[in-house]
Amino acid sequence: MTIVGKKSFIVMTLLIPFLIILVGCIPVLLAYINNTADTSVTRIALIDETGSYGSAFKNTDNFHFVPLLGDSVVDAHEFYKNAGESLDAVMVIPKDVLDGQRATIYSENTIDNATINYLTQCLNDTLASAKIASFNDPELQEKIEQSQVDAEIKSIKWDEKGDEQEQSAEIASILGMILSFLTYTFVLSYGAMIMNSVVEEKTNRIVEVIVSSCKPMELMMGKIIGVGLVGLTQFAIWVLLLGLGGVVLSIFGLSTVGAASPDMGAMTAGINANVPDNSDIASIISAVTSINYVSLLGNFVIYFIGGYLLYASLFAGFGSAVDQASDSSQFTMPIILIMIIALYAGIACIENPSGPMAVWCSIIPFTSPIVMMVRLPFDVPWWQMLLSIVLLYLTALGCIWISARIYRTGILLYGKKRSLKEVIRWVK
Amino acid sequence: MNFIDVNSVVKQYDGHLALDHVDLHVPQGCIYGLLGPNGAGKTSLIRIINRITHADSGTVLLNGREMVQGDIANIGYLPEERGLYKKLKVGDEIVYLARLKGMPKRLAVSEMEKWLKRFDLTEWRNRKVEELSKGMQQKVQFITTVIHRPQLLIFDEPFSGFDPVNAEQLKREIIQLRNEGATILFSTHNMASVEEICEKITLINHSRVVLEGRVDDIKQSHKENLFAVTVAGGEQVKACPNLFDVVPGGEHQGTLIKLNQGVSLRDAIAWLNDNYTLTGITEQLPSMNEIFIETVQSNA
Repeated sequence: MTIVGKKSFIVMTLLIPFLIILVGCIPVLLAYINNTADTSVTRIALIDETGSYGSAFKNTDNFHFVPLLGDSVVDAHEFYKNAGESLDAVMVIPKDVLDGQRATIYSENTIDNATINYLTQCLNDTLASAKIASFNDPELQEKIEQSQVDAEIKSIKWDEKGDEQEQSAEIASILGMILSFLTYTFVLSYGAMIMNSVVEEKTNRIVEVIVSSCKPMELMMGKIIGVGLVGLTQFAIWVLLLGLGGVVLSIFGLSTVGAASPDMGAMTAGINANVPDNSDIASIISAVTSINYVSLLGNFVIYFIGGYLLYASLFAGFGSAVDQASDSSQFTMPIILIMIIALYAGIACIENPSGPMAVWCSIIPFTSPIVMMVRLPFDVPWWQMLLSIVLLYLTALGCIWISARIYRTGILLYGKKRSLKEVIRWVK
Repeated sequence: MNFIDVNSVVKQYDGHLALDHVDLHVPQGCIYGLLGPNGAGKTSLIRIINRITHADSGTVLLNGREMVQGDIANIGYLPEERGLYKKLKVGDEIVYLARLKGMPKRLAVSEMEKWLKRFDLTEWRNRKVEELSKGMQQKVQFITTVIHRPQLLIFDEPFSGFDPVNAEQLKREIIQLRNEGATILFSTHNMASVEEICEKITLINHSRVVLEGRVDDIKQSHKENLFAVTVAGGEQVKACPNLFDVVPGGEHQGTLIKLNQGVSLRDAIAWLNDNYTLTGITEQLPSMNEIFIETVQSNA
């Protein structure tokens, strides 16, 4: 229980939610920086051999175009060199661009993706219009526009009373993924913490003093339960802080979006169709709120405790067989391997959370604490849930029993490196 | 009245017989030596008395009744392999281990302060254990063993790692604890300390008890009719084939003689007085060290 007293532990407990929020904000910040801070201008000379597409390339804040007629420049490279610093690249639009659908950009510098994307987009739009025009059908343009479909399937979930609630598979998936990562990191880091503590007590020999004051089983379970409660407390603090952070951020974030970007509002006013309107945001919010967080959290805690007991007891049992901290890897490897398999199974199951792999892996006790997290936000049949929980806890009890037998022998045996085979014999 | 009665205890590990029908009877208030070469089974026996492991067969009685788990609060154990939580502060460590033995916190703290003062460690109370010298750590370990005033103390090599001054202090403390009523089981290879403080011993070799009894009695029973003789003028005594032989070596003054079988001391003294001016004659009892080596080797 000395862990809790450590300053580093307290600091980490309080800091990690902020770190998570910060990490969550980074993409937004980066996008913001990317959009506002980029004032550099790329100057591109257009050698338009067709003489008709030059106008398709509109100047923007970041791109300036200098249209030139095809025959006025004989050697693009020569022209580029003569222009010196005033030019970044030369783009050549060949005569057969409509059929070949290909243009070329030359530069002595590497052209970045943003530039290529912008140029491609401009070229595509203008070539498409030219093609349509080449069919000489005045109604064609209209027909094409009318046949542009942007279908959307709204997912509505009936609750018990028959009320409708919007839900979103993506949000459920993301939530599932977060929960399964949380379980994985929690179980792994607390398991490792237990193992280290067992190895430490054994290598500095205090374990002999301790077990002359209490039973080895009591010592092991005390450790597992103690660290487990630390973990749950830490988790509760995180949930609380993250919840608070989320509330603060949403109030702060929404008001800043509303206030700080009037230009965005002006922009969206013009092309209303392409921008998520209020109903989209509302549906996201509705989907986020439609998830039953109480049952989700409850199930998370049930699976977390089961998975933790299972793996922590294994870590404790095998930790007791270790003679030096540096030898521990031969025993931790198999455990960590199983956990990594579970994590990958969880990731794979996101695509199809009701498929056979997801179902099996969420019932097999060694993978269920992690894989079931992915399935939780979707509805899981009650019998699968029950079977999985019962199996998980039975297996956890079995692991505790096995580990206790390894532990009581292991902690008092010094001096020799133990093989896995030998350790398994202690169980008998 | 015996405080501990170990009756015919057998313990087997993985095909190796660690204890073969071992008996041990430690009287109340006795400093009792548990001797034996490495690997003889001493630690196995101590762990059974401590209830860290259990005997395959046989019984361990405490105060005449079968031991129960609760009795371990009444035992203080100083293992040979010392160990403390290195990152804990000295005071916290002592209090933590005392409370593990069931001591109330307030009492544990006041006892801790008393013991730290006794060992001159008061100023180290808030330092981490890892900052202490090895000798000081040993003292802390000793305090954690005795702080809850157990009726039974088990010391495994208590003097290893102590300088002579500190070893002397430790010896005084052990005798003091005995005088206050504790029974002390004392496992060691240090035969000099056995002779100094143990009243009775049991010698285990190859998982069996090979020698048991009062230290004085054992010495008497192992005596070999050796006498150190000093005569006037510091002369060397010559052997007398009918009565005694001269034995070389020894750290005593004068000449070491060994009486022949059946010769009485009186006859030898008479002969010595006739031939020399006898100034002194003392019986040489074997040391526990010699008895240990002899017994273990004859058992090999």
